[in-house]
Amino acid sequence: MEWLNNLIGPSAARGVGQLVGINVAFLGVLMIVAYTVLAERRILGFIQGRLGPNRVGPGGLLQPFADLLKFILKEEIIPDNATRFVYLLAPVIAITSALMTIIVYPFGPEVNIPGVGPVRLTIARFDVALLYVLAITSVSVYGIALAGWASNNKYSLLGALRSAAQMISYELSLGLSLVGVVLMAGTLDLYGIVEQQSGWAGLHWNIIYQPLGFVVYLISAIAETNRVPFDLPEAETELVAGFHTEYSALKFALFFMAEYVNMFTVSVLATTLFLGGWNGPGVAQFPLLGVVYFLLKITFFLFLYIWLRGSLPRFRFDQLMNFGWKFLLPLAIVNVILTSAVVYFQFVRAQS
Amino acid sequence: MLSLSAPLALALEGLADYADEAVFVVLFGVAVGAAVSVVAQRNPLYSAVSLIFVFMALAGLYLMLAAPFIAAIQVIVYAGAIMVLVIFVIMLLNVEEEEHRRPLKLRLLVPAAVVMAAVLFAESAFILYFVHDAAAERAQAAAANTTGLTASVGAGLFTTYLLPFEITSVLILMSLVGAITLARRASEIGPTDVVVPGSFVLPRQALTPEPDVDATPVSARTTDEVQRELGLAGAHHRKEED
Repeated sequence: MEWLNNLIGPSAARGVGQLVGINVAFLGVLMIVAYTVLAERRILGFIQGRLGPNRVGPGGLLQPFADLLKFILKEEIIPDNATRFVYLLAPVIAITSALMTIIVYPFGPEVNIPGVGPVRLTIARFDVALLYVLAITSVSVYGIALAGWASNNKYSLLGALRSAAQMISYELSLGLSLVGVVLMAGTLDLYGIVEQQSGWAGLHWNIIYQPLGFVVYLISAIAETNRVPFDLPEAETELVAGFHTEYSALKFALFFMAEYVNMFTVSVLATTLFLGGWNGPGVAQFPLLGVVYFLLKITFFLFLYIWLRGSLPRFRFDQLMNFGWKFLLPLAIVNVILTSAVVYFQFVRAQS
Repeated sequence: MLSLSAPLALALEGLADYADEAVFVVLFGVAVGAAVSVVAQRNPLYSAVSLIFVFMALAGLYLMLAAPFIAAIQVIVYAGAIMVLVIFVIMLLNVEEEEHRRPLKLRLLVPAAVVMAAVLFAESAFILYFVHDAAAERAQAAAANTTGLTASVGAGLFTTYLLPFEITSVLILMSLVGAITLARRASEIGPTDVVVPGSFVLPRQALTPEPDVDATPVSARTTDEVQRELGLAGAHHRKEED
């Protein structure tokens, strides 16, 4: 990095470094998303006793690119009665708010890249990283809500209303389920939280102390991403395609991508907060192994999503609301109270 | 750090000095422009979306003031929760464009608004230029490193500002209770009513109707006769159609 510092000055060098980091992470996440879609189609095929896409490239490996090409070449249709500006803004909000969270993901520990020096595998590290992720994802509901409203279609509007109600309801238990981890860690910095879980040869994970929080988080996070069994906003049997009924071509692709990037975000948060992030046996000796562990854990959660989609039916709307408000939320509150009591007594014992 | 190949580096460093100002001007412009748009738009949904932009820009300004926690809370609470509810209501009620107000009523308010704005500006100017609290400034300088960080906000809320914090929470609870009372009064739910969550209030009879005890004696042999006897119409036009 020294030569870059000398050439363009430290501020600009830092900027260039972050720009490179953002682009690498962006491409990486989009590749993961593309292959999650392929994996989903293949695994669903397996679960349902059929093959799934296997013709484009070896084993269907080039299918995501064929899909992308198809999305680009499809005709753009904007309904006559749509509110044009908002209609076009909605998918932009969806994908932007999904991708903006990438900058705080801790992808791996500090590694030594030849020619560059030691690099922390996270783009930005700041005091309120976790709150930042929650804030950005809480904005993503506008993508869906505005899409439904601007399409001027009753099915879209119903999907959007369902989605807004669902996301508000489950955001509460989602936030509260994370409070336990934050209380234990004493920080909101994701990188710091992962570093704290590096004991016991990399197996000192928060899930041991927070099993309740983990379960509540996982369920409400799946609800937040509008996936099966909580996919009421786009319930095909009732609402055609829900909020994105009127969207075609790349605009639909943006919603589609946003959904899968959000799944990735949920997996990253679950991994980071509960499963020790990049930590695992041997990471202290070989830092690059951390990235492998991280990706493996992410893959597990993405597989879980697909597995659930292949095996569970959809909730009814009143079941969804009852489950969120009368079961998950009290459970999350109990978890917060228990955790704070334990943390408090430990604090008192340490003082005396 | 700067070496001999410095001109480019020097220029970029000079630019970096102005980065703060540039970001501030952008955020400030978005905030003010969107705020004007909130008032100027005729369609309530556009107003709501503009208000979201105001909140986002404000969050950015908080970030620039080194208060990341406040910025995050601003987005989560205002942009993420309150505005979602506002948009939800707009979409549910399907509010059309607001009607053109009669201009007479507003014209009376214009001078009042100007006076209020002038007072507000005068107040801010007075505080900025004349009020100096040396002790408070020293305390601020001492705390400047931690202000706005999560830990200092939390510590402040639960020590120095505990009473205002608790009073605010009671205030919010009161408004909650008030909202529920207002909503309930509209439909007067009685003890024999059944509330179906999320939809409507029914009298209990509506869900468990009384068995039909109407046993009027009828002396008739054919369906047509029965219908004539009971004074029922419909379904007996078949003969005429034939």
